[in-house]
Amino acid sequence: MIVGERKPLSEIQEMLKGYKKVMVLGCRTCVAVCMAGGDKEVELLGSLLRIAATKDGSRLEVVEDAVERQCDREYIEPIREKVAACDAVLSMACGCGVQFMAELYADKPVLPAINTNFIGVTESTGVWTERCGQCGNCVLHLTGGICPIARCSKSLLNGPCGGSQNGKCEISPDVDCGWQLIYNRMKQLGQLEKLAEVIPAKDWTTSRDGGPRKIVREDVKI
Amino acid sequence: MEGLGFAPKIVAFCCQYCAYNAADLAGSMRLQYSPYVRIIRLLCTGKIDSLYILKAFEEGADAVFVAG
Repeated sequence: MIVGERKPLSEIQEMLKGYKKVMVLGCRTCVAVCMAGGDKEVELLGSLLRIAATKDGSRLEVVEDAVERQCDREYIEPIREKVAACDAVLSMACGCGVQFMAELYADKPVLPAINTNFIGVTESTGVWTERCGQCGNCVLHLTGGICPIARCSKSLLNGPCGGSQNGKCEISPDVDCGWQLIYNRMKQLGQLEKLAEVIPAKDWTTSRDGGPRKIVREDVKI
Repeated sequence: MEGLGFAPKIVAFCCQYCAYNAADLAGSMRLQYSPYVRIIRLLCTGKIDSLYILKAFEEGADAVFVAG
Protein backbone atom coordinates (compact mmCIF):
# COMPACT_ATOMS: atom_id res chain seq x y z
CA MET A 1 0.00 0.00 0.00
CA ILE A 2 0.93 3.65 -0.21
CA VAL A 3 2.13 4.78 3.19
CA GLY A 4 1.71 8.35 4.31
CA GLU A 5 1.90 10.46 7.41
CA ARG A 6 -0.17 13.47 8.40
CA LYS A 7 1.55 16.82 8.17
CA PRO A 8 2.07 18.77 11.40
CA LEU A 9 -1.03 20.71 12.45
CA SER A 10 0.85 24.05 12.27
CA GLU A 11 1.67 23.43 8.59
CA ILE A 12 -1.94 22.56 7.82
CA GLN A 13 -3.19 25.65 9.67
CA GLU A 14 -0.81 27.81 7.63
CA MET A 15 -2.22 26.30 4.40
CA LEU A 16 -5.78 27.00 5.50
CA LYS A 17 -5.24 30.67 6.32
CA GLY A 18 -7.85 32.81 4.64
CA TYR A 19 -10.35 30.02 4.04
CA LYS A 20 -13.64 30.14 5.93
CA LYS A 21 -15.14 26.77 5.04
CA VAL A 22 -12.96 23.76 4.40
CA MET A 23 -13.76 20.18 3.55
CA VAL A 24 -11.46 17.61 5.16
CA LEU A 25 -11.67 14.67 2.78
CA GLY A 26 -10.37 11.27 3.73
CA CYS A 27 -9.53 8.28 1.58
CA ARG A 28 -10.60 4.84 2.75
CA THR A 29 -7.92 2.84 0.99
CA CYS A 30 -4.13 2.92 1.58
CA VAL A 31 -3.95 5.93 3.91
CA ALA A 32 -6.81 4.52 5.99
CA VAL A 33 -4.87 1.29 6.51
CA CYS A 34 -1.74 3.16 7.55
CA MET A 35 -3.87 5.29 9.88
CA ALA A 36 -3.01 8.59 8.23
CA GLY A 37 -6.07 9.70 6.29
CA GLY A 38 -9.11 7.45 6.77
CA ASP A 39 -12.47 8.28 8.40
CA LYS A 40 -11.02 8.27 11.89
CA GLU A 41 -8.17 10.61 11.00
CA VAL A 42 -10.62 12.95 9.22
CA GLU A 43 -12.64 13.23 12.43
CA LEU A 44 -9.51 13.80 14.50
CA LEU A 45 -8.13 16.47 12.18
CA GLY A 46 -11.52 18.14 11.86
CA SER A 47 -11.79 18.33 15.62
CA LEU A 48 -8.23 19.62 16.02
CA LEU A 49 -8.81 22.32 13.40
CA ARG A 50 -12.02 23.48 15.08
CA ILE A 51 -10.35 23.62 18.50
CA ALA A 52 -7.36 25.48 17.03
CA ALA A 53 -9.65 27.97 15.26
CA THR A 54 -11.64 28.60 18.45
CA LYS A 55 -8.37 29.12 20.32
CA ASP A 56 -7.10 31.58 17.69
CA GLY A 57 -10.42 33.36 17.59
CA SER A 58 -10.59 32.74 13.85
CA ARG A 59 -13.67 31.50 12.06
CA LEU A 60 -13.34 28.16 10.33
CA GLU A 61 -16.12 25.82 9.37
CA VAL A 62 -14.91 22.27 8.85
CA VAL A 63 -16.89 19.76 6.83
CA GLU A 64 -15.79 16.15 7.20
CA ASP A 65 -16.15 13.48 4.56
CA ALA A 66 -14.34 10.48 3.14
CA VAL A 67 -14.56 8.47 -0.06
CA GLU A 68 -13.55 4.94 -0.94
CA ARG A 69 -10.64 6.11 -3.10
CA GLN A 70 -9.62 9.57 -4.27
CA CYS A 71 -7.66 8.04 -7.16
CA ASP A 72 -10.83 6.83 -8.90
CA ARG A 73 -13.15 9.28 -10.62
CA GLU A 74 -16.33 7.40 -9.77
CA TYR A 75 -15.76 7.96 -6.06
CA ILE A 76 -14.89 11.65 -6.17
CA GLU A 77 -17.51 12.78 -8.66
CA PRO A 78 -20.52 12.21 -6.35
CA ILE A 79 -19.21 14.75 -3.79
CA ARG A 80 -19.37 17.61 -6.31
CA GLU A 81 -22.07 19.55 -4.44
CA LYS A 82 -20.29 19.28 -1.11
CA VAL A 83 -17.02 20.44 -2.68
CA ALA A 84 -18.79 23.37 -4.36
CA ALA A 85 -20.07 24.54 -0.97
CA CYS A 86 -16.54 24.83 0.47
CA ASP A 87 -13.73 27.35 -0.11
CA ALA A 88 -11.07 24.63 -0.24
CA VAL A 89 -10.59 20.89 0.09
CA LEU A 90 -8.01 19.53 2.49
CA SER A 91 -7.32 16.09 1.11
CA MET A 92 -6.08 13.39 3.43
CA ALA A 93 -5.31 11.08 0.51
CA CYS A 94 -1.87 10.33 -0.90
CA GLY A 95 -0.38 12.65 -3.51
CA CYS A 96 -2.34 10.83 -6.22
CA GLY A 97 -5.65 11.54 -4.54
CA VAL A 98 -4.82 15.20 -3.99
CA GLN A 99 -3.89 15.62 -7.65
CA PHE A 100 -6.90 13.76 -8.98
CA MET A 101 -9.20 15.86 -6.82
CA ALA A 102 -7.46 19.02 -8.06
CA GLU A 103 -7.84 17.81 -11.63
CA LEU A 104 -11.57 17.14 -11.29
CA TYR A 105 -12.27 20.26 -9.23
CA ALA A 106 -10.07 22.64 -11.17
CA ASP A 107 -11.69 25.77 -9.71
CA LYS A 108 -11.20 24.65 -6.11
CA PRO A 109 -7.95 24.78 -4.13
CA VAL A 110 -7.09 21.19 -3.10
CA LEU A 111 -4.51 21.07 -0.34
CA PRO A 112 -2.47 18.13 0.97
CA ALA A 113 -2.84 17.14 4.61
CA ILE A 114 -0.61 14.10 4.20
CA ASN A 115 3.00 13.55 3.24
CA THR A 116 3.15 10.55 0.92
CA ASN A 117 6.17 8.52 1.95
CA PHE A 118 6.52 5.15 0.24
CA ILE A 119 5.01 1.88 -0.95
CA GLY A 120 5.34 -0.47 1.95
CA VAL A 121 3.90 -2.99 4.35
CA THR A 122 2.57 -3.06 7.91
CA GLU A 123 5.37 -4.79 9.81
CA SER A 124 3.45 -4.60 13.06
CA THR A 125 0.80 -2.29 14.47
CA GLY A 126 2.08 1.24 14.00
CA VAL A 127 5.18 0.20 12.06
CA TRP A 128 5.34 0.52 8.29
CA THR A 129 8.38 -0.10 6.13
CA GLU A 130 9.26 0.46 2.51
CA ARG A 131 9.31 -2.52 0.18
CA CYS A 132 8.98 -1.40 -3.44
CA GLY A 133 10.85 1.26 -5.41
CA GLN A 134 8.38 1.19 -8.33
CA CYS A 135 11.23 0.80 -10.81
CA GLY A 136 8.89 -0.68 -13.41
CA ASN A 137 11.09 -3.70 -14.08
CA CYS A 138 10.90 -6.17 -11.22
CA VAL A 139 13.98 -8.19 -10.27
CA LEU A 140 12.57 -9.93 -7.19
CA HIS A 141 12.97 -13.34 -8.88
CA LEU A 142 16.72 -12.79 -8.92
CA THR A 143 17.07 -11.58 -5.35
CA GLY A 144 15.08 -14.00 -3.24
CA GLY A 145 11.97 -11.85 -3.10
CA ILE A 146 13.80 -8.95 -1.45
CA CYS A 147 14.02 -5.75 -3.45
CA PRO A 148 17.55 -4.41 -3.89
CA ILE A 149 16.17 -1.10 -5.16
CA ALA A 150 14.02 -0.39 -2.11
CA ARG A 151 15.88 -2.28 0.59
CA CYS A 152 19.49 -1.36 -0.25
CA SER A 153 20.25 2.27 0.61
CA LYS A 154 22.28 2.58 -2.58
CA SER A 155 19.85 0.50 -4.69
CA LEU A 156 22.77 -1.71 -5.70
CA LEU A 157 21.93 -4.52 -8.10
CA ASN A 158 25.02 -6.44 -7.06
CA GLY A 159 25.71 -6.08 -3.38
CA PRO A 160 26.55 -5.84 -0.63
CA CYS A 161 28.89 -2.86 -0.54
CA GLY A 162 31.67 -2.23 1.96
CA GLY A 163 29.26 -0.36 4.19
CA SER A 164 27.54 -3.58 5.26
CA GLN A 165 28.53 -4.34 8.85
CA ASN A 166 27.14 -7.26 10.86
CA GLY A 167 24.03 -7.33 8.71
CA LYS A 168 23.36 -3.61 9.11
CA CYS A 169 23.68 -0.74 6.68
CA GLU A 170 26.26 1.97 7.24
CA ILE A 171 23.58 4.68 7.18
CA SER A 172 22.14 3.50 10.50
CA PRO A 173 22.49 0.58 12.88
CA ASP A 174 18.68 0.39 12.73
CA VAL A 175 18.65 -0.33 9.00
CA ASP A 176 19.18 -3.86 7.77
CA CYS A 177 21.61 -4.30 4.90
CA GLY A 178 19.30 -5.20 2.00
CA TRP A 179 21.94 -7.39 0.43
CA GLN A 180 22.55 -9.27 3.68
CA LEU A 181 18.81 -10.00 3.70
CA ILE A 182 19.04 -11.16 0.09
CA TYR A 183 22.03 -13.39 0.90
CA ASN A 184 20.26 -14.93 3.91
CA ARG A 185 17.12 -15.62 1.91
CA MET A 186 18.97 -17.11 -1.04
CA LYS A 187 20.90 -19.34 1.37
CA GLN A 188 17.61 -20.43 2.93
CA LEU A 189 16.27 -21.25 -0.53
CA GLY A 190 19.44 -23.17 -1.42
CA GLN A 191 20.02 -20.81 -4.34
CA LEU A 192 23.24 -19.08 -3.31
CA GLU A 193 24.86 -19.99 -6.63
CA LYS A 194 22.42 -17.61 -8.35
CA LEU A 195 24.10 -14.71 -6.59
CA ALA A 196 27.31 -15.47 -8.50
CA GLU A 197 25.55 -14.21 -11.62
CA VAL A 198 26.06 -10.51 -12.13
CA ILE A 199 22.83 -8.62 -12.64
CA PRO A 200 23.41 -6.31 -15.61
CA ALA A 201 22.95 -2.56 -15.36
CA LYS A 202 19.27 -1.71 -15.21
CA ASP A 203 17.36 0.25 -17.81
CA TRP A 204 15.97 3.01 -15.61
CA THR A 205 13.70 4.42 -18.30
CA THR A 206 10.94 2.20 -16.86
CA SER A 207 11.42 4.08 -13.59
CA ARG A 208 11.21 7.82 -13.03
CA ASP A 209 14.13 8.39 -15.42
CA GLY A 210 11.77 7.83 -18.30
CA GLY A 211 9.48 10.67 -17.18
CA PRO A 212 5.91 10.35 -15.88
CA ARG A 213 4.68 6.83 -16.53
CA LYS A 214 1.48 5.65 -18.14
CA ILE A 215 -0.13 2.30 -18.77
CA VAL A 216 -2.80 1.88 -21.42
CA ARG A 217 -4.61 -1.44 -21.54
CA GLU A 218 -6.54 -1.66 -24.80
CA ASP A 219 -8.25 -4.86 -23.62
CA VAL A 220 -9.95 -3.15 -20.72
CA LYS A 221 -10.44 0.34 -22.12
CA ILE A 222 -14.00 1.52 -22.59
CA MET B 1 -11.81 26.00 42.25
CA GLU B 2 -12.74 29.37 43.72
CA GLY B 3 -9.19 30.59 43.12
CA LEU B 4 -9.63 30.17 39.36
CA GLY B 5 -12.07 33.04 39.13
CA PHE B 6 -14.41 31.07 36.88
CA ALA B 7 -16.48 27.91 36.96
CA PRO B 8 -14.54 25.37 34.92
CA LYS B 9 -16.20 22.59 32.99
CA ILE B 10 -14.40 19.37 33.81
CA VAL B 11 -15.36 16.18 32.04
CA ALA B 12 -14.51 12.87 33.69
CA PHE B 13 -14.65 9.67 31.68
CA CYS B 14 -15.03 6.96 34.30
CA CYS B 15 -14.91 3.20 34.07
CA GLN B 16 -18.15 1.81 35.47
CA TYR B 17 -16.32 -0.93 37.34
CA CYS B 18 -13.97 1.23 39.37
CA ALA B 19 -13.84 5.03 39.12
CA TYR B 20 -17.58 5.39 38.50
CA ASN B 21 -18.30 3.13 41.47
CA ALA B 22 -15.86 5.18 43.53
CA ALA B 23 -17.78 8.35 42.65
CA ASP B 24 -21.02 6.55 43.49
CA LEU B 25 -19.59 5.42 46.81
CA ALA B 26 -18.40 8.96 47.51
CA GLY B 27 -22.03 10.01 47.13
CA SER B 28 -23.24 7.23 49.46
CA MET B 29 -20.67 8.31 52.02
CA ARG B 30 -21.79 11.93 51.67
CA LEU B 31 -18.29 12.89 50.56
CA GLN B 32 -18.11 16.06 48.53
CA TYR B 33 -16.37 16.35 45.22
CA SER B 34 -16.18 19.33 42.92
CA PRO B 35 -19.55 20.28 41.40
CA TYR B 36 -17.69 21.32 38.25
CA VAL B 37 -16.97 17.70 37.35
CA ARG B 38 -19.35 16.10 34.90
CA ILE B 39 -19.05 12.34 34.84
CA ILE B 40 -19.48 10.25 31.72
CA ARG B 41 -19.68 6.55 32.44
CA LEU B 42 -17.84 4.16 30.16
CA LEU B 43 -18.21 0.40 30.24
CA CYS B 44 -14.43 0.32 30.40
CA THR B 45 -11.85 3.08 29.95
CA GLY B 46 -10.39 0.82 27.29
CA LYS B 47 -13.25 2.30 25.24
CA ILE B 48 -11.79 5.78 25.51
CA ASP B 49 -10.98 7.30 22.17
CA SER B 50 -8.90 10.39 21.45
CA LEU B 51 -11.99 11.71 19.64
CA TYR B 52 -14.05 11.62 22.88
CA ILE B 53 -11.45 13.82 24.53
CA LEU B 54 -11.20 16.19 21.58
CA LYS B 55 -14.99 16.46 21.30
CA ALA B 56 -15.20 17.36 24.99
CA PHE B 57 -12.71 20.19 24.44
CA GLU B 58 -14.51 21.22 21.26
CA GLU B 59 -17.75 21.52 23.22
CA GLY B 60 -16.11 23.78 25.76
CA ALA B 61 -14.56 21.58 28.42
CA ASP B 62 -11.70 23.25 30.29
CA ALA B 63 -10.24 19.93 31.39
CA VAL B 64 -10.82 16.27 30.75
CA PHE B 65 -9.74 13.34 32.85
CA VAL B 66 -10.00 9.64 32.35
CA ALA B 67 -10.33 7.47 35.42
CA GLY B 68 -10.32 3.73 35.41
